[in-house]
Amino acid sequence: MTDSASRPRRRARAFNGEARAALAAIGRRAEVARRLELGSAEAVLRSVVEAAVVLFEAEAASIALYEPARNLLVFRVAAGEQGQGVVGLEIAPDRGLVGYVFSSGQALAIADVRADPRFGRSFAEQTQYVPRSIVAVPLVDERGTLGVLEVLDKRSEATFSLRDIELAGVFARQATVAIRASRVERDAATLLRSVLRSLAGDDASEQGVEALVEAALAEVGDPDDPLWPLVEQIAALRRAGPEQQELLSALLDVLVRQSSRGRGRRAGRLRAPGG
Amino acid sequence: MTDQLLPAWSEPFVGARRGALRHLPPFGALDRAWATGGSDGSGVTVAIIDSGVERDHPAVGGKLVRSVKVELAADPDDDPVVLDDPDGLDVVGHGTACAGIIHSISPGADLVSVRVLGPDNRGKGIVFAAGLDWAIALGAGVMNLSLSSKSDALFGTFHDLADRAYFSRALLVCAANNVPGNSYPSLFASVVSVAAHDLADPSAWYYNPRPPVEFGAHGLDVDVAWRDGGRMVASGNSFAAPHIGG
Repeated sequence: MTDSASRPRRRARAFNGEARAALAAIGRRAEVARRLELGSAEAVLRSVVEAAVVLFEAEAASIALYEPARNLLVFRVAAGEQGQGVVGLEIAPDRGLVGYVFSSGQALAIADVRADPRFGRSFAEQTQYVPRSIVAVPLVDERGTLGVLEVLDKRSEATFSLRDIELAGVFARQATVAIRASRVERDAATLLRSVLRSLAGDDASEQGVEALVEAALAEVGDPDDPLWPLVEQIAALRRAGPEQQELLSALLDVLVRQSSRGRGRRAGRLRAPGG
Repeated sequence: MTDQLLPAWSEPFVGARRGALRHLPPFGALDRAWATGGSDGSGVTVAIIDSGVERDHPAVGGKLVRSVKVELAADPDDDPVVLDDPDGLDVVGHGTACAGIIHSISPGADLVSVRVLGPDNRGKGIVFAAGLDWAIALGAGVMNLSLSSKSDALFGTFHDLADRAYFSRALLVCAANNVPGNSYPSLFASVVSVAAHDLADPSAWYYNPRPPVEFGAHGLDVDVAWRDGGRMVASGNSFAAPHIGG
């Protein structure tokens, strides 16, 4: 009696484990695809920051995008001689000026940054450049906030005007449209949520779907996972031109052959004393 | 041409267009004495729903009487939790900037900080709504909101909160959002929505008869308090709102 009652429960638990593993695999693949696709939007984002630098006559401009799986804002592109140090920089979404603009959705400009030595130092440690003034606007539309656009140091003025803040907002809008048009925003959570909802139909419990999504993605964002550096490198490779790709392919070919020859020699030497 | 492209809520308050607002009856005689009548804000509690307020910052004048932070509950089915934050911490500096402006205009007002910067994208609208809910229940008379939510799913929640505040005789002062599209609660009729003008005068206020942004206030190159006892020169509608809130 007890056995027959507990068997279905055990089966249900086993199914839950398998279903969760399958969902986790889907989540992981979706995240890999998202990171690989970032490249297609980056070209447009780069043109937005380049245009911002020219129009504002600014020292630098950059865009940070929100990565839901890791809950971090990551600077993806930058323009201007002083801007490059920021690419790759990661910021918590509730810290600092960029985090505030992301979390509040409110555009801000600050001047006299150098007058505050703590702010300047922390910024310089991360980017090798201390700006005088910054304008930061959210990349936002009716579907949510995707990131932040920053413009640093207008050459003609010491500070940014209200008009500049609004103009930066227009640039941010362009970047938002570009990201939405690409597949970058289709993060793993959004993808899983929509798949689960469409499978379950109208009867789907919102909390149930959320619980499944969270369970599936629990480990996807692990920054120590060695998969992510590999994915980043492959994504960078995809952005290379055909000539560069050919060169890299030839280089890899040589390296692989060298490495297998080296292994053979080492194996030979190892065998020798015993032989 | 460019003017038409920009979503410029500040536009009516800037440059030559300001002249049109100056002579609108009955606000031509609006000045500091009319607005405050010698009051210094004593007896009024102002809630600053923002990044926190630094308790010991000189600009706050020791008027921070309470500080809380709102966080998502561990179980996603549960409502966010409101926790006492006795240290009086500001994780950015922005909330302290707003508190400093309010204190400079209404030095007698008690200040309450409600820290609502959400830990993630999905949770932040819920955290913001929970913070607003808490401040209304506390009985704050004025609430300074320099942030808003774009989430359609939270339209009803924020509408209910704005109604509750209105019927509790609490005034929600919201920074206008320059990004087109939804922005709750700053676009609701029962709240006061504020954008920046480009005058260097903290006591210059403008009324705009065309909704949704009702007031223009000092918001360009404002000398504001910032975290760790510092100061910063900053611009944005979020610094105009506390000039009206104060």
